[in-house]
Amino acid sequence: MLRYLRLLGQWALDWIGALGRATLVWFWSMAGVPQRDDLKLLVKQVYQIGVLSLIIIILSAFSIGAVLALQGYTQLARVGAEESVGLGVALVLLRELGPVVTGLLFAGRAGSAITAEIALMKATDQLSSMEMMGVDPLHRIAAPRLWAGMISMPLLTLIFNAVAIGGAALVGVDWLGVDQGGFWGGMQDGVEWWEDIGKGMIKTVLFAMVISWIAVFQGYDSTPTPEGMSIATTKTVVYSSVAVLALDFMLTLVMYGEFK
Amino acid sequence: MTDNLIEIEGLRFSRGDRIIFDGLDLAVPRGAITALMGPSGTGKTTLLRIIGGQIRPDSGRVVVNGHDVPSLSRGELFELRKDMGMLFQSSALFTDLSVFENVAFPLRVHTDLPDEMIRDLVLMKLNAVGLRGARDLMPSQLSGGMSRRVALARTIALDPKFIMYDEPFTGQDPIAMGVLVSLIRGLNESLAMTSLVVSHDIHETASIADQLYIISDGRVIGEGTPDMLRDHPSTMVRQFMLGSPDGPVPFHYPADNFLDDVLGDA
Repeated sequence: MLRYLRLLGQWALDWIGALGRATLVWFWSMAGVPQRDDLKLLVKQVYQIGVLSLIIIILSAFSIGAVLALQGYTQLARVGAEESVGLGVALVLLRELGPVVTGLLFAGRAGSAITAEIALMKATDQLSSMEMMGVDPLHRIAAPRLWAGMISMPLLTLIFNAVAIGGAALVGVDWLGVDQGGFWGGMQDGVEWWEDIGKGMIKTVLFAMVISWIAVFQGYDSTPTPEGMSIATTKTVVYSSVAVLALDFMLTLVMYGEFK
Repeated sequence: MTDNLIEIEGLRFSRGDRIIFDGLDLAVPRGAITALMGPSGTGKTTLLRIIGGQIRPDSGRVVVNGHDVPSLSRGELFELRKDMGMLFQSSALFTDLSVFENVAFPLRVHTDLPDEMIRDLVLMKLNAVGLRGARDLMPSQLSGGMSRRVALARTIALDPKFIMYDEPFTGQDPIAMGVLVSLIRGLNESLAMTSLVVSHDIHETASIADQLYIISDGRVIGEGTPDMLRDHPSTMVRQFMLGSPDGPVPFHYPADNFLDDVLGDA
């Protein structure tokens, strides 16, 4: 019994220690005056993190939109409300699936890449050599990746939503024959800027911050061995995915919380 | 200003229960090449990181060019490091940058020099290490010896006052080793620098070092010129200088009695 208590205590202390180090990484990355090369570094990272994630986002979005339209149509047609499929798909995407699925894909594609890259730089002394040259690696390496994540993911979510709605329209309107006016008109009438699009974007910005933070910290805090890199990369994907899902539940509760 | 660029007094540092330094004293004179030697695992690389401010000691004074390193703020540390260079055992080249860009990196970050001048300076540094012709290669295309020479060119890009070399000769073929030995000696003289070399290669290190320190069990056990250390009264120092496999530094890592271990219960 005592042994388990001791292990629990040790785990709690390790966790608090890691949280403290993660907070310092965030603070020192964000602190400081922007420098001449910062924009160039940021653009490079937006390309690495954002542009190179486009293919997986577009393919997944199209597939999810098409499936949602198929499922929605099947259920709604029973009650003769198949024209509402456009509105249903849009609401599900804008409020929930867009930010959440983009977050999960982003964690798997970009988050893991960020962690692996930083962990490898640490294992090969590149971060140490930067420090010894008087260059702060948190400013040079961590900060551009954090900002690029926070810029790229909301844009990827917008693209995800647009492509998924396009996929739903292709299946619903062009294939299953839902009336085009009803499909788009229902969406136009039912979707609200703030309630649906605005709040969905707030979610995605928060997800982006959390995923980028986890990814950068796990790389920076990794053990500089091949096994350490592997563990850090896995942790990024697992922690980010769990964080996105848990945060989504809490945000939904706070934003749309009139559940009785 | 003292004649010593680095002064370390009463340094104590431990990792968990293991004591790495237990009251270590050491001084590195300006303009000289000082070598730091000792058995594996005695904390030589750790000492370089303490001098560079990457690790904070438990107690003791670590003064570099008049600055007490452990008490410096983060910003002051980064400022101090602009006068330092460190050659890592792994070379630590940036793998996404070419040889040219690796050497240009500190110049681009720390100076406002125009591109033409940076180009000239990079070519001069690369020429000094004999790799001007390799400027367009990527780090993955370099041999181990070439990587270390590029890293050396990058280290001297800002003409530091002081360079720390962490195992510069490890894994090098005899030709590359000879090149590095002459480069370290030549750069130290021509650029009026101070050098601290951590190495296991007694012959090469002794050939260029003005003074040597041998550390073991967290303390300096011998210091002086290479000739003085070869005739040192301490058997441990002589064992190290002569490379004897067993002696005061045991061949075996501490363990229980061998027979008890083998014949005992699993």
